[in-house]
Amino acid sequence: MRKFAALLLVAMAVFVFAQQKLVVWTSEKQVGILQALGQEFKARYGVDVEVQYVPFGDIKPKFLTAAPQGQGADIIVGAHDWVGELVANGLLEPIPAFAEINQFFESGLEAFSYGGKLYGLPYALEAIALIYNKDYIPQPPKTIEELITMAKNIQKEFGTEVRGLIFPATTFYFVVPFIFGHGGYVFKSTPTGLDVKDIGLANEGAVKGLSLLKRFVDEGIITPGDNYEIMDSMFRDGRAAMIINGPWATKAYADAGIDYGVALIPDVAPNLVARPFVGVQGFMINTKSANLLLAKEFLINYIAKRDTMHRIYLADPRLPARKDVLELVKDNPDVVAFTMSAGNGIPMPNVPQMGFVWGAMDDALNLVVNGRATPAEAARNAVERIKAQTQ
Amino acid sequence: MKKLMKLFLWFFLLLLNISFFWMTAFLIQNRYYELGITFAVLIFLIDFFVFNPKGYPYRYIIPALVLLFILVLYPIYFTIKTAFTNYGTGHFMPKEEAIERLLYSTKYTYIVPSNEVVSYRVFMAYDGINPTDDFIILFSIDDQIFISKKPVPVRRKGRDVILSEGILQRIESETFLYEGQRFKIVPWPSLFQEIKLLTTEGKSYKLFYAFDDQLLDINAPYFKTRIAQTHLANTDFIEPFSGKKYALRILPDGSWGFVRIERLYRLAYEEVYEDGRMKLKMILVNNVTNQRVQEKDGVFYDVNDKGEEIFLVGFIDYIGRKNFIRIITDPRVTGPFLSIFGWTFAWAALSVVLSLSVGLPFALVLNDPRLRGRNLYRTLLIIPWAIPAFISALVWRNGLLNETYGLFNKFLLPLFSLDPIRWFNDPFWARVGVLLVNIWLTFPYMMTISLGALQSIPVELYEAATVDGAGKLRRFSRITFPLLMTVIGPLLVSSFAFSFNNFTIIFLITAGGPPIPGSVTPTGYTDILMSYVYKLAFQAGTGQDFGFASAISIMIFLLVGTISLFNFKFSGAFEEVGR
Repeated sequence: MRKFAALLLVAMAVFVFAQQKLVVWTSEKQVGILQALGQEFKARYGVDVEVQYVPFGDIKPKFLTAAPQGQGADIIVGAHDWVGELVANGLLEPIPAFAEINQFFESGLEAFSYGGKLYGLPYALEAIALIYNKDYIPQPPKTIEELITMAKNIQKEFGTEVRGLIFPATTFYFVVPFIFGHGGYVFKSTPTGLDVKDIGLANEGAVKGLSLLKRFVDEGIITPGDNYEIMDSMFRDGRAAMIINGPWATKAYADAGIDYGVALIPDVAPNLVARPFVGVQGFMINTKSANLLLAKEFLINYIAKRDTMHRIYLADPRLPARKDVLELVKDNPDVVAFTMSAGNGIPMPNVPQMGFVWGAMDDALNLVVNGRATPAEAARNAVERIKAQTQ
Repeated sequence: MKKLMKLFLWFFLLLLNISFFWMTAFLIQNRYYELGITFAVLIFLIDFFVFNPKGYPYRYIIPALVLLFILVLYPIYFTIKTAFTNYGTGHFMPKEEAIERLLYSTKYTYIVPSNEVVSYRVFMAYDGINPTDDFIILFSIDDQIFISKKPVPVRRKGRDVILSEGILQRIESETFLYEGQRFKIVPWPSLFQEIKLLTTEGKSYKLFYAFDDQLLDINAPYFKTRIAQTHLANTDFIEPFSGKKYALRILPDGSWGFVRIERLYRLAYEEVYEDGRMKLKMILVNNVTNQRVQEKDGVFYDVNDKGEEIFLVGFIDYIGRKNFIRIITDPRVTGPFLSIFGWTFAWAALSVVLSLSVGLPFALVLNDPRLRGRNLYRTLLIIPWAIPAFISALVWRNGLLNETYGLFNKFLLPLFSLDPIRWFNDPFWARVGVLLVNIWLTFPYMMTISLGALQSIPVELYEAATVDGAGKLRRFSRITFPLLMTVIGPLLVSSFAFSFNNFTIIFLITAGGPPIPGSVTPTGYTDILMSYVYKLAFQAGTGQDFGFASAISIMIFLLVGTISLFNFKFSGAFEEVGR
């Protein structure tokens, strides 16, 4: 019996060996280009690269379930703020130093570093900015007052058919520019990393930011029901003059024939620029992968190269994480505008404690927008909640 | 024919036995002991039922038995077991695996700075013109030449190789003895870079790959994929006299070369005085700092020179009743518990009562033989039930209830010049909203079970009642309703239990919102126990907390179980059926 079992095991092992391939999980926008790159890698190395489409929001949960069992993708493409949790679970493999690493923007590498090690190869930075429809807005606003006047004028002119300004007012990510612009912060940045005990979401600046959000609602240019889907579809249909969105969305707007422009989010107050979150997208390696060396080879000696990075940019035009690729694409005004916005931005914390912040702040925004709590109350409560959970 | 059938059955049983034994062996080898034992017990029972005449009647429940074991008993066991662990984010692997990783993973090695110049050449035994996986590596370390054959696995886990080793042997002459075989180097004497061939009895190894030889680049893919990844990925090549270790790494310039490495951690034994006796205890020690690795709350920590703890790796640890104690004592859990429990109870009860009060009238009408086109109506009325709940929930949320563009707020309410309702942001209306959706989804079920029950009520009863002069209402309240209840009562209890845990609807419609101001946990007005627990265990924190979630689901099971038991007793449902 044992012999038979052993024999079967051997047979299975041989089967597994014969299946040498790299599995990559990625979200919609990169599937095409990665498949093409995978084909080329296969032509060179004789190893299949299987690119599987997984919705962006599902990649991390799926990976968290599969990877500990020694299954799941060898490489995942995702956001830098997953790193903290994935490393805590011991699921990511550090990426060794390589010669061209100094060609990558420091902010991108920093975002993917945790405990002094690099856990992801960044390929795109992203930050939100003001996107406007040139049919309604010839010149983008420079100050908040201008923004409010413009939005009101549009609404006066077109009634309920066209919105002057719309953004997901109850989603923390989209409100951050106003909060950080006034001096709020999530976790205090110190030379040795983030201090998760020092939370700046209820300080004077943060409350000012929330009050500005409240003013948008009171002035009638933002309504409590606004969410991402509504914003996205209205702008695509040409029924929104100004929105706040990221570089991932512009391709769809261009495809829909919208004559749009990208500009900085107006200064929140004189001499106070809006500061969005900077997110970084990159490739991460499953530490339990049976093909660790090949996965590293794929990333370091293939994906990280300038030409590959440029091709990824062309397929999915976000701000490139490599300096020399940015040089190549400088004539694209969208990229320049988003890069400037990211330049004002603050990297999204990649510590696991950030997990508490999203829900707490979304709830706080909800209370503010619906007038069920004052900005100060809502902010104080949210911070209390975050502290209660991170203790 | 009958004999053939019997033969076939025996053969089938044999196959079943073989596969179950194999599965047991495989699972236990891979340390899934519980599941392995489940399979072992299962096959034992199956064989017992088949071979023992006493077990004869049980033969027919074998398929059910298989499902019971694998889909019910094992998950229950697993949930209970998990409830006593800290399984969750940061604690994902068993302790043995965590230790194994610290000791053997390439992640926990470091490159020893040295001036040694290490280069290597791979020699391949060809099969015709095809390379095989029989190879020999020659190393040149500071101008001394070493040989190693294909490394051998020294640590395995299941069928995975965790660590391989190759022993280096120094070569000092043209011919030499290695592993009992006589080898010859061609040409000799020569520079390391000029060696072309290794020959041994009847076999020759040709130069195949060297990272510093442009001409051999053509073989790089085969070397990297078939040789390096498969045989050299986590391999230490050990020089036995100095004990130096060399391993393959991707170097900063992108080439694959060997460097001198050391393991970051080693096992050591420490004498501890415990229970009045000296005991040897296994500990992990950091090779660089010589500090011992600390173990605390299911996590291994390194201690740096400033005395700070640095997280290394967490593991699944048994923590006893801690999860259960947390449910009772943690103010974050207990704080909103009562209000959530109240709403959960109301939600479940109202769901049942209201959907029954919608479904029953429909059933009464449909049951009337005078109604024409009954089948058509019945089909139409069952549609909400037939459409997957996920889809209708999304249609309700985005199409009907949306505060700005939904059907209600945009068309229906303005029609009666009413103010728009804030379906997701007003606590009362949010609750009404989820109830509305749930009634829409469940009334066809109520209608169907009522229809079935109505048809089982004897017509004579009504005739007798009519003769006695009972009106329609009286007939309903004295005959139809009581008789109906005896049949659908137990079903109502189970749909109460189902609604009690109906996480899907709540989560798809409101996700528990709108938030309750002032609470320190992610709590909303429409949160039921299940969704609240889900948020606590999977969303609120730094990730997931399976241990805590298991503990709570056991508590909820006890709660729902108790309520259902009372319900059954109270309604006398079981007695009626049993009589």
